[in-house]
Amino acid sequence: MSLIQRNEELTSLERVGLTLQRKEVDRTPAIPLVCGASYRVLGTRYDKWSQDAEIATQSLLAAQELIGQDAFLLLVDLSVEAADFGQKLIFPKYSTAFPDFNNQYIQTPNEYEKIKKVNPRETKRMKQVIDMIKGLSKEKGNEVAIMGFIYGPLGVLSQIRGHKDLFVDLIKHPEEVLAAVDVITDVLVEYAIAQVEAGAHAVVVDPLYSSGTILRNTTWEKFEGPYLKRIADAIRTAGAGVGIHNCGDGVYFEEVIKWADPVAISVAYPAHGSKNWEEHAKTWGDKVITIGCSDPANTGLVFTTDEVLEDCKNQIELFKKHNAGFILSTGCEFPPNGNLLNAAAMVEASRRYGRTEN
Amino acid sequence: MSINKEELYKKLADSIVDMDEDLTIEISKQVIAEGLDAYDAIVNGLTVGMNQAGKLFDEEEYFVPELLICSDAMYAGLNILKPHIKVGENVTKRKAVIGVIEGDTHDIGKNLVKIMLETGGYDIIDLGRDVLPSTFVEKAKEEKAEFIVISTLMTTTMEGMNEVIEILVEENIRDDYKVLIGGGPISQGYADKIGADGYAENAAEAVKLANRLVVAYGNEIE
Repeated sequence: MSLIQRNEELTSLERVGLTLQRKEVDRTPAIPLVCGASYRVLGTRYDKWSQDAEIATQSLLAAQELIGQDAFLLLVDLSVEAADFGQKLIFPKYSTAFPDFNNQYIQTPNEYEKIKKVNPRETKRMKQVIDMIKGLSKEKGNEVAIMGFIYGPLGVLSQIRGHKDLFVDLIKHPEEVLAAVDVITDVLVEYAIAQVEAGAHAVVVDPLYSSGTILRNTTWEKFEGPYLKRIADAIRTAGAGVGIHNCGDGVYFEEVIKWADPVAISVAYPAHGSKNWEEHAKTWGDKVITIGCSDPANTGLVFTTDEVLEDCKNQIELFKKHNAGFILSTGCEFPPNGNLLNAAAMVEASRRYGRTEN
Repeated sequence: MSINKEELYKKLADSIVDMDEDLTIEISKQVIAEGLDAYDAIVNGLTVGMNQAGKLFDEEEYFVPELLICSDAMYAGLNILKPHIKVGENVTKRKAVIGVIEGDTHDIGKNLVKIMLETGGYDIIDLGRDVLPSTFVEKAKEEKAEFIVISTLMTTTMEGMNEVIEILVEENIRDDYKVLIGGGPISQGYADKIGADGYAENAAEAVKLANRLVVAYGNEIE
């Protein structure tokens, strides 16, 4: 039993599952996305957490004991898949791993064909995530929801080619990009299935560029829509739920729902076309569950605990007012160096203000 | 037949908006060959074109890929024209050092801000990415910049922005620089917390913010 958790009517797993089915629950689920931040709970280092399944698993379990969030999200970093395709990474001691942008695996448009199929179950980093899911499932799979995580194929390719060069190639070398995205998608389909087989109740896919601040909607659809569908269909066929995460501004909800048909979308900003959260809740509340929308930096690095409680209360009340499907969360990963007490405050806010009878 | 320079500058601007780098280069070379004023061509051709591209970006007609290709065309033209600017002609511009903070290598946002600030009339010294806090200060002093513009996309590296301000305070030169911050996880709340002079939500806002700060400090925009 968690140091902070109390005897609840439902387990976290039940609470999340029923919410996604739009059935009555005891309170709004709370899932501050404590991923890398968990490295601090057992006193390890970020680079060790990023590269060792056992250390990461134990850290996530310990963090959940302390904070009480209703789900694990297996977001290690956005370079997991890219590394297994050949991209060299840099692992800072106390920060998130990132590609060595001075040593991109694909350096010219002619090199997209270097992308080859790999078996995610036999790689270094994707296998690590699969093993983490297995570990979490063994310890808490009956109590706490486990959400796998996959970076979308276009995002994976951007880590390997470099963001700027990939964006230019979308216009100047589209066929080469599409061929690479196709190969990556085959691998991500297998990766998704492996996560479900390891015990993930849902798999969250991150099509980061499906956002009005990055790509035209039709451009995104061309380069990622059908590929996202392949991954989403595979997740459902394997028996798990499909979630989407995108912390970009103005996510194309219509297009993402068209291609992925997710049960929930985790976001940091209102959907494209919605001026504010109220409009978002009214427009999308009956179509898809919104997972959001605490600003991660403010929640982890700026707000006092009382401000977090107030902020969460406002969100819960807003979505409730419009009968909009909602799970309280940070709009993106909880800051790895953020105040973990504020993550716990989010869960407390759900208990105080998110009760069904409120 | 004499060249109609207004027409030529319009073609130059259009080549930027049309993302036609080859045409930008061709026309820029023509400007030089015809003996036209290089600075004039930059201001009335390249900058006008880039401003139009920026407007299309604001209106969600152009997106990041289009803007990047437009800026490639602009820089290609600048490379040809800049060496031919007459001495003394270059109007003194307000200087800014810009970079992505130490530990972070995401630079698309920073590059878009750089493009917008340059188009908006600022002289930009680009420090690149993964820049030490002390380097921001050293370069600002060395280049006699007015602005220090810092970007990050990661919460784990945000503290570096605070370090830049702490260094300025320690050296008793805080008031000599306006510090602007931006990036995905950044907010006005964070900017207020660390004492930054401003936070810009996007590249277009960065230019407006810089201009507002100049006015607020009692100087007119030239």
